[in-house]
This record gives sequence, structure tokens and C-alpha cells, in this order.
Amino acid sequence: MHLSLEDLIAVRDGEARADSARHAASCPECIAELSRLRSLREALAALPDEPPSRDLWPVVKARATAERQHRIWIRVGWVAAGLAAVFTLLIGVRGAIEAYVEAKVARQAQALIAESQRLEQELHASERQGRVMSGRTAGTVVQLEDRIAYLDSRLSRAEGERFPSQEILGLWQERVRLLDALVSVEATGTTYVGL
Amino acid sequence: MTAVTPTSFAVPVDEITVARARAGDEAALEALFRSFEAPVYSLARRLTRSTHDAEDVLQETFLEVVRSIHRFRGDGSLAGWIRKVAVSKALMKLRRRRGSAFEETLPEDLSDDDLALGPYGPATSAAERVDLETALGRLSDVARVVIWLHDVEGYSHDEIAAMAGKTASFSKSQLARAHARLRELLAPGVREEPCT
Repeated sequence: MHLSLEDLIAVRDGEARADSARHAASCPECIAELSRLRSLREALAALPDEPPSRDLWPVVKARATAERQHRIWIRVGWVAAGLAAVFTLLIGVRGAIEAYVEAKVARQAQALIAESQRLEQELHASERQGRVMSGRTAGTVVQLEDRIAYLDSRLSRAEGERFPSQEILGLWQERVRLLDALVSVEATGTTYVGL
Repeated sequence: MTAVTPTSFAVPVDEITVARARAGDEAALEALFRSFEAPVYSLARRLTRSTHDAEDVLQETFLEVVRSIHRFRGDGSLAGWIRKVAVSKALMKLRRRRGSAFEETLPEDLSDDDLALGPYGPATSAAERVDLETALGRLSDVARVVIWLHDVEGYSHDEIAAMAGKTASFSKSQLARAHARLRELLAPGVREEPCT
């Protein structure tokens, strides 16, 4: 019983089982077949290399350059897209922050307007009582009323000219402070209110 | 597996050239191309049996080298890496050409007059080489790939199985079939099964 071709190749390659190797060492036909297998391997390995019929380096170089440029453009595209996204995000965040601040200022302004209206009602109630005041107190009242009138003119101009909200808020805060002082003067006859 | 004759990929390449190529030096990359174009082209032509496909494989292989040599760490053989890339590209070409993994059927038989090399031996004359080349060309794609990668390039059956998506047993049986077929083509009259 001789070895199969697969077993003979395994013997040739040093990968055969021990019994196959023993048989191949003593069987003249298998030895001859092994010799033929080795010769064929040598014949195949001796086949000469053959260069391509045309120079392909310029083609490879051109394709590599084109690939590199393509990759650069893709990278530039991604960077541009990233920058656009960041810019959009910044605008969005900025818009959101501005909207939040605006809303907060508006709430504060509404509170100040309400306080201002309450103080004016209190002032009118005090005036209806027709309290007598000294000349110096009357001077203080006039001074306060002048300043309130000036503030009112600034407020109407600010709203017409779209002043920044913080500035309008400051004017309303000042108006409330002056009204509060005026109410105090009217009520107590104070002549000095630290203006 | 016993050592086989070093293939034409055993090209001496100095470390300086490799280092310059890794840094993207065009002259060094061209030097590598010049060193390996014949081995890569020959390997591709023998596996694909097509000069057109072999040229494509040569281009694709060196595009991959240009693209990836900066990642080559130098802990393996550069020639081994380039050969592996070339084999991979050639197998891909065969898969695309066939529309499937490998064609497993053997091609039609040759007539006795087609080839007559006689007993095996190194192909010394041009006529003998042509006959051996012609006989290789008559093998199925898979048989030709397996016998070339195993017997000439020295790949193990496990490595061939991994590259071809088959088993090592498949590679062994294809190698035996390839040898039987070559014997039939090159030495008509010699019995197909050597041992019974």
C-alpha cells in the first residue's frame, strides 16, 4: 500500500505522520514520487520573474497624489463643517443666553413698574389729604418731582430709541427710589432725603 | 514545513531607504517600487493569469504601500509585508472576476500533443519554461493559487486557508489535486495516482 499524493506532499514538507515517513523512506516507488514532487517545486521556483511591459510608477505616483489631495480636501471639508457647527452653536447659545437675560430683565422691570405704580397711588392718596408742609420740605418735594420728571423723559426716549434693557431697568430702579423718597417726604415732612 | 528556495521577494532593502519611504520621501518610495515591481507583477500574473489584472494588482499593491508604509513598524520583513499585500490584492481580483470565492472545478483536459515536458526537473530551457507556465495556466484558479503560494512562496496551509476563506484540509486537497493535474499535463503517460 503506497502513500497518497497528499501524504507524499506532507512527507516532502516534513509534516507527515511517523508511519508515512517510515514508508516513504523504504518504498522505491514513493521515493521516486517524492523526488518528482521536489523537482517540480524547484522547477516552479526557478521560473523567472517578469517585469511589467510598461513603467507603472508614474501611474502609481499620480494616483497616490490624487488620493492624498482628495484626503486633504475631505479633511478641509470636515474642518469647515466643524467650524460652521461651532459658529452656529455659539450663535444659538448666545441667543439663548440673551433671551434668558432679556426675560430676567423684563421680569425685574415689570416688578419695578408695579412698585412704581403702587408708590404713585400712595403719593396721590397723601396729596388728597392736603397736608401742610414747610418751605424747605416743599423745596425737597419739588426737587424730587423734577428728578422724576427728568427720569420719565429719559424713559420715554429710551423706549423709543430701543436702549439696552439693562439701562431701562436702571432708570426704573432710580424712579422707584425717587418715588419712595417722595412718599416718605410727603408722609413725614422730611426735608433731607440724601439725594 | 521544510524550507523552500527563497523567492524573488528576497530583495535586499536598506533600512535608510525604508525609513525615508516611511517619512514619505518620493525617491525612496520609487526605489522600493523598482525593487519589488518584478516580483509583485510576476506573482500577480501567475495567480491571475492576466497581464491586465497583474498590472492592476501591481498598482493597487504599491498604492497600499504608499498609503500605509508609515505604519510599517519594521518588526517583520518588508518584503513579506509587500508580498502579503500583493497576494491579498490578487485574490481579491480573482474573487471579483469569478464573482465568487474560487472556482473549484478543473478546466478541460489537454491533449497529449499540447504539452510534453517529460519527467519533472528544473525548467532550464525557454521551451520547458513555457510548457510549465502553460501547464500552470491550465489549472483551476484555486489549484494554481494553492500550489504557487504553498510550493513557491512558502505559505503554510493554515495561512492559505485564512487568506482564501477555506480550511487547511481544503488547501491540502487542492495542493494534491494541483500536483496530480500538473503531472498529467507535463508527463503524459505517468499514472495519475502514484501509490495505491
